[in-house]
Amino acid sequence: MLTLLRNLQRLRRQVGLPSPGRGRSLALRHVDAGSCNGCEHELALATTPYADVERFGFSIVASPRHADVLLVTGTVTTRMREPLLAAYRAMPEPRRVVALGDCALARGVLAAESEIVGPVEALLPVDLRIAGCPPSPATITAALLELYNGTT
Amino acid sequence: MTHRDRIGAALAEGCRFSGLYAAAGGAVVRVALTGPDGDTRLESVDVQNGSVPTIVDLTPAAGWDEREAADLYGIRFDGHEPLRPLVEHDLELARWTVPVRGDDAYQVAVGPIHAGVIESGHFRFHVVGELILHLDVRLFYKHRGLERAAEGCLLDEGLAYAQRACAACAVANSVAYAHACEDALGLRPSSELARVRTVLLELERTWNHLNDIAAVCAGTGLAAGNALFAALTERARRVNELLTGHRFGFGAVQVGGSRLAVDAAAVAAAREELASLAAESKGGWRELLFNASFQDRLPEVGIVTVDEARALGAVGPAARASGVSEDARAHSDRLAYDGLAPVAPRRVAGDVQARLEQRAVELLQTFELLDGLLDRRLEPAVAEAADPGKPIGLGLVESPRGATQCAVEQGNGRLERLHLRTASYANWPVVAHAAVGNLLPDFPLINKSFELCYACADR
Repeated sequence: MLTLLRNLQRLRRQVGLPSPGRGRSLALRHVDAGSCNGCEHELALATTPYADVERFGFSIVASPRHADVLLVTGTVTTRMREPLLAAYRAMPEPRRVVALGDCALARGVLAAESEIVGPVEALLPVDLRIAGCPPSPATITAALLELYNGTT
Repeated sequence: MTHRDRIGAALAEGCRFSGLYAAAGGAVVRVALTGPDGDTRLESVDVQNGSVPTIVDLTPAAGWDEREAADLYGIRFDGHEPLRPLVEHDLELARWTVPVRGDDAYQVAVGPIHAGVIESGHFRFHVVGELILHLDVRLFYKHRGLERAAEGCLLDEGLAYAQRACAACAVANSVAYAHACEDALGLRPSSELARVRTVLLELERTWNHLNDIAAVCAGTGLAAGNALFAALTERARRVNELLTGHRFGFGAVQVGGSRLAVDAAAVAAAREELASLAAESKGGWRELLFNASFQDRLPEVGIVTVDEARALGAVGPAARASGVSEDARAHSDRLAYDGLAPVAPRRVAGDVQARLEQRAVELLQTFELLDGLLDRRLEPAVAEAADPGKPIGLGLVESPRGATQCAVEQGNGRLERLHLRTASYANWPVVAHAAVGNLLPDFPLINKSFELCYACADR
């Protein structure tokens, strides 16, 4: 266990990401509305020492009830329409919506038309668009930082 | 001989069921059977008055396939009672769940949205207290109708649909599709094409196995182990990017050849990084082995016996951990595995510990394979004409999660039907079975020991 923790400490030193130097927070709630699983895998790695999205006070939370941001991946399928809207309705104000990845932005979507509702913005007001198929952990982290700093 | 007799005879000869689908238009149902030598053949039966005889009593592994064909093509399977909906969601609870009654039995509904960065899917647990009596898995929230959308495409355009079914298995799905197309077109891969595709498949296996070990650490709350293996996953995906230009290898596989050209320096850099990943994952694994509180969580949880694994059609590391010694790589004459022997499990227990250990051991085999394959640059290559071709082509590939079967039906070079039966699709009913008799709080751990994709199953 100690070895694991020491390794982690060494890795953090090696990667040497700058400290954010400010103490604020942003709670993110992810909803997969019909992705290929690529955006999920990249978002999950945004918490590793190589991108470390948590150093900015960003945390991926278990409930929309205490989330500031809804991170939506995938093109919205007919079957995910209602669960997505329910998650949005459960969030307190103020709230922001991030469309994560090309499918969520209706770029190059592959699907049968009858099975999908459309891009995220067909259902919800989108505040931030993160392009990429899928966007890398570094891209996701940089984009969320823009939202956090109020530049988008 | 009736359709059922033919299927029964094939199963008795040692074939395993490897998929069932309705052909375009829904007038014919085809059953894929894979022999012990890895050869797959199709048995077709005409749909008469909207129905065909079920085979689910002969091979329970066909359960989901029949339910899917019923939902999407309106085919009835005589004798499959009750034929519960699978893809169809607009139905009352009693229609799609198994009735569970008794003192204090109640249901716990989880999802489709889960409490982390997880794909969407719904689990309905029937429990008494914390004991799971039965689990109904309802997926297809992410059903995008990819197979239908691909119909009418040129064969090389259709690859995108197979690839985008799932990012985690993008290479395996693409290669299974390419093999199916090349089988239909009468093409055989050159040895260089076989080598390039084998490299891509093993790179995908590398990051997936690292990711799946990290997932089990997360499932037990061992944050330090999760962080280590997640960091190694990130590095493995960077190797993918170095060699293919994409972290998941999107666009790296084509039908009929490979355009990938990687110079010797980049290949050598990738090989060196993989050697470093191998050393660090070995070190990390040793730490996990000596972490008593972690190890205590794993044995005798989520047991799948060898008989259950065979009956339910389990594939991949999960099946091998239960003692089913099958690996599609052992018979892949279109790939550069050269008689690879499946890794025998150290401990055939079919539980969470056995599945985790199987991945860890197979990961080492993958590192060795890659070290051997990455000894020179990767060159563009082609598949060569070998026979006149046929209307239906089949492709079988061992994805990180097990055997993935692709069928392509074509006419004049256009797709008439695409069917992709991934390892995740095969294994989801096994997860549901493995959960029974366990405690509800152990389900995340059981689930992560399989670490299946939802996107792959939903398509």
